[in-house]
Amino acid sequence: MRMSYTRQLLIERPDIPRVAIGILVAIMLFGLFSVGFDQGQLFSLVEGKEAFDSNWLHEFVHDMRHAAGFPCH
Amino acid sequence: MRSLPFLLVTLVSGAVAGTILGIVNLGVVEPYIDKAIQLETQNEIRAGENVNTDEMAGYRIWQKSGEIVGGIVYGISLSSLFGIVFAYSRNSLPGNNVKVKAILLASIMCFVLFIVPSLKYPSNPPAVGDPDTIYYRQSLFVAFLVISGASALGVTALIKKINQTVSKKVAIACTIYGAIIIVSYLAMPSNPDKISISMNLVEAFRLVSAATIVMFWEILGATYGTLWNRFNRQNLKKVTAF
Ligand SMILES: [Zn+2]
Repeated sequence: MRMSYTRQLLIERPDIPRVAIGILVAIMLFGLFSVGFDQGQLFSLVEGKEAFDSNWLHEFVHDMRHAAGFPCH
Repeated sequence: MRSLPFLLVTLVSGAVAGTILGIVNLGVVEPYIDKAIQLETQNEIRAGENVNTDEMAGYRIWQKSGEIVGGIVYGISLSSLFGIVFAYSRNSLPGNNVKVKAILLASIMCFVLFIVPSLKYPSNPPAVGDPDTIYYRQSLFVAFLVISGASALGVTALIKKINQTVSKKVAIACTIYGAIIIVSYLAMPSNPDKISISMNLVEAFRLVSAATIVMFWEILGATYGTLWNRFNRQNLKKVTAF
C-alpha cells in the first residue's frame, strides 16, 4: 500500500488521457510527413504512379518545406 | 486537463503560430526563394534545357498559395509534439507560471529540433539540392534530428533519476547532450550537394528562414501557455462548483 503511494508521488503521470496523446502522435506524423518529406507518396495512394510526376502536395507545401529546413531541391 | 480542451489548446496554438509563420514567410522568405528559382531557371536555360516559363509561373502561384496552409500543417504537427512533451514535463519545468514554462519548453524544443539539426544540415533555398540525392539527404536529416531529440529525452530521463542540485543537473545534461551532438556532428556525412548559386543568397536565406522558425516556436510557446491557463481555470471552476 505504502509502496504504491510513494510511487504515485514519484512517477510523473500526465493527467491527460492516452487517447488524446495518441491522436496527437498521429497528427504529428501525418503533418510532418506531408510538409517535410512527401515526394508524391500520399497522393499516389489515390492517384497512382502519376502522383510522383505531378507531385501536387510537394509543390503545394514546397516553400514552407524549404523555409523550415527540410531537404528539398 | 481533459482530452477535448487539451486537444483544442494544442491544435489552436499550433494553427495560430503556423498561420503567423506562413504570413511572415510570404513577406520575408519568399523574395529569397523567388530569387533562387530565377537563378535556377537561368541556369537551366543556359544549359540548353527547354523551360516552359508559363508552366513555371503557374507552379509558383500554386507554391505560394500553399505557404500559409503549409505553415498551419507544420504548426499543428509541431504543436502536437509540443503538447505531448508539455503534458509529461510541465510539473518538472521550473517556476509556477505556466506561460513561462511553455515558452521555456518551446525554446528548448526549438534548439533541439531545429537549431541543432540546422547546424549540421542547414536549410537551403531552391536550386541547391540535387533531386537524385533527395532520399539520401532526407535520411541524413532525419537521423540527425532523431539523434538530437532522443539524446535530449535520454539526458532528461537520466538527470531526473540522480540526486543533485538543479544547476548541477542542468550542467550534467548539457555536457552529455553536447558531447553526443559533437560526436554525431563529426561522424555524420555532410550534405552531398554542391552549392552552385551565390553563397550570399544561400546564407541570407538560411538566416532569415531560421529567424522565422525561432519566432514560430516562441509564438507557439506563448500561445500555448496563455490558452492552457484559460482552459485550465475553466476546468477548475467546474470542479469547485460541484
Ligand atoms: Zn524545393
